[in-house]
Amino acid sequence: MIQLFQVSKSFQRQQVLDRLDLQVKDGDRIALIGQNGAGKTTLIRSLLGQYEHQGKLRVLERDPRSERVEVLQHVGFVPQHPPPLQMNAGELIAFADSLSEKPLSQKVFELSQELELDLHEHSSKPFFKLSGGMKQKLLIALTLSKEPDLLIMDEPAANLDPSGRKAFFHQLSRLPESTTMLLSSHRVDELLSLVNRVVEMDCGSIVLDEPLNEGISQGRLMGCELTLHEVNNSIRKVLESWQFRNGAEPGRYHGEIVEEDRTRFISAISHFSHHIRGLQLGNS
Amino acid sequence: MNPSSTSQRGSTPFKSVTLLDLRESVRARWFLVYLLIFGGAVVVLISLGITESRVMGFTGLTRLLITYFQLCIAILPIFILITTVRTVVGERESNVLEYLLSMPIPLGAYYWGKLTARFLVVFLPVFGALALSITWGTLQNLTIPWQAVSYYTLMLATLAWCFLGFGMFLSTLVRKQEWAMGLAFLSWLLLLLFLDAILIGVMLQHKLQEEVIIGITLLNPLQVFRTGAMLLFDPELTILGPASYVILDFFGKQGYLTFCIGYPMLLGWVFSLLGFRLFKKGDLV
Repeated sequence: MIQLFQVSKSFQRQQVLDRLDLQVKDGDRIALIGQNGAGKTTLIRSLLGQYEHQGKLRVLERDPRSERVEVLQHVGFVPQHPPPLQMNAGELIAFADSLSEKPLSQKVFELSQELELDLHEHSSKPFFKLSGGMKQKLLIALTLSKEPDLLIMDEPAANLDPSGRKAFFHQLSRLPESTTMLLSSHRVDELLSLVNRVVEMDCGSIVLDEPLNEGISQGRLMGCELTLHEVNNSIRKVLESWQFRNGAEPGRYHGEIVEEDRTRFISAISHFSHHIRGLQLGNS
Repeated sequence: MNPSSTSQRGSTPFKSVTLLDLRESVRARWFLVYLLIFGGAVVVLISLGITESRVMGFTGLTRLLITYFQLCIAILPIFILITTVRTVVGERESNVLEYLLSMPIPLGAYYWGKLTARFLVVFLPVFGALALSITWGTLQNLTIPWQAVSYYTLMLATLAWCFLGFGMFLSTLVRKQEWAMGLAFLSWLLLLLFLDAILIGVMLQHKLQEEVIIGITLLNPLQVFRTGAMLLFDPELTILGPASYVILDFFGKQGYLTFCIGYPMLLGWVFSLLGFRLFKKGDLV
């Protein structure tokens, strides 16, 4: 799917990619991790044919620069920060649809619905006026509707709410096994159960390239029961945002979280640790 | 919204980019201001009764068109430059280009689609204003100078194309919007200064031959538009004084009008092609 041989890239005198070698097979699901400035975005832009570079780079056996249209027909991309597009959401869908070999519109509506984005309500709004989460959901729906062979996502879940993330991870789990994924993130814990390989970059080099033995558990749900000393509005709101329900006993809440989200969930409730009497987390 | 209601399936990427940019431009605030200035100008000129006034022997619709071309020469180029120079560099800076070019859009379709949309957005209001003045003139039983109006429309189109090409060239040349705006403003200022002030200074200081000075003058597309428009209403170019002999002896009236249309169009193509070359070369975002 992807081959890099001694790929280097520098801006003025600063080396951003330093003689990278990387082979990615069809169906590989890679967590691309690293600090800011490690070279992740430069690598992604090179794969999308947006940067010139030294060395040899092939995506789907083609040069993504000289054959970018042919390559990009099979690539889906979600950027970290949604761009401030002036067009409205409906126009963006129609525009992407007009460029795609497959019809996208119907699928985008369905996928958006799953992500709890109502396009019937928001399609006439300018894209840049949508909330961060809505923009991200729309870009995800657009990308997944293409059913790309190579999916490149830069911090895709960063702006999503818990239920949106749950739906998103579920959507990823439904992708065909042959789909290759490159998911870039600062937080490796979020991606671990989605990927079968971790590539870490630092200062433009690959410092770690390891297969994951645990395998993929995309979208697996974990049951959670939380017992509180006292319930106040703040913690109730947080739990409701995670779609937790109040049990028969007051102060006892239960719900389900996606396995990829457990660290995020624990982090969200940690602000209320003095209210928590008990927490049980296990396979659903 | 119905999933299929906005479908553009079957459109070429060029057409999709053009339509998208047209829609975005029409919604933008600058377009509203532009429409008010160039469309509104004709309405104001008519309502102020400028067609009734007599200045330097020009009356009726001719007088209105002369005032309108003076307005165009002062504002049209800088308006086009300001709104065009941010096209590519602005989308680069805001990461819009990164996202759009992650879609399978040929680079040519993106660049020429944008340029075509901008041309339509810039030219159609001016054309509409001209059409409005002619309609009004017809209703008032004024004599319509059809030949002059046709040439004038062509000259406006080529002037717009020239500065659009230059604007796109600047937009692909620099990596910061501030630089693009600065260069655009500086270029416009230089062209304006070369209309008269600097050239007279050069002529006085170096006692250059008149033909050389006029040759330099005619490299300036603003000057070409200005003198071409004058020629439409003043066939002897008496307003220009002795320079008119050099121009008319060298080109002849018809030849000069052809030059006034061909030269800015050529410049527009040269700059837009150079811009496309710069856009394709190197990093896209």
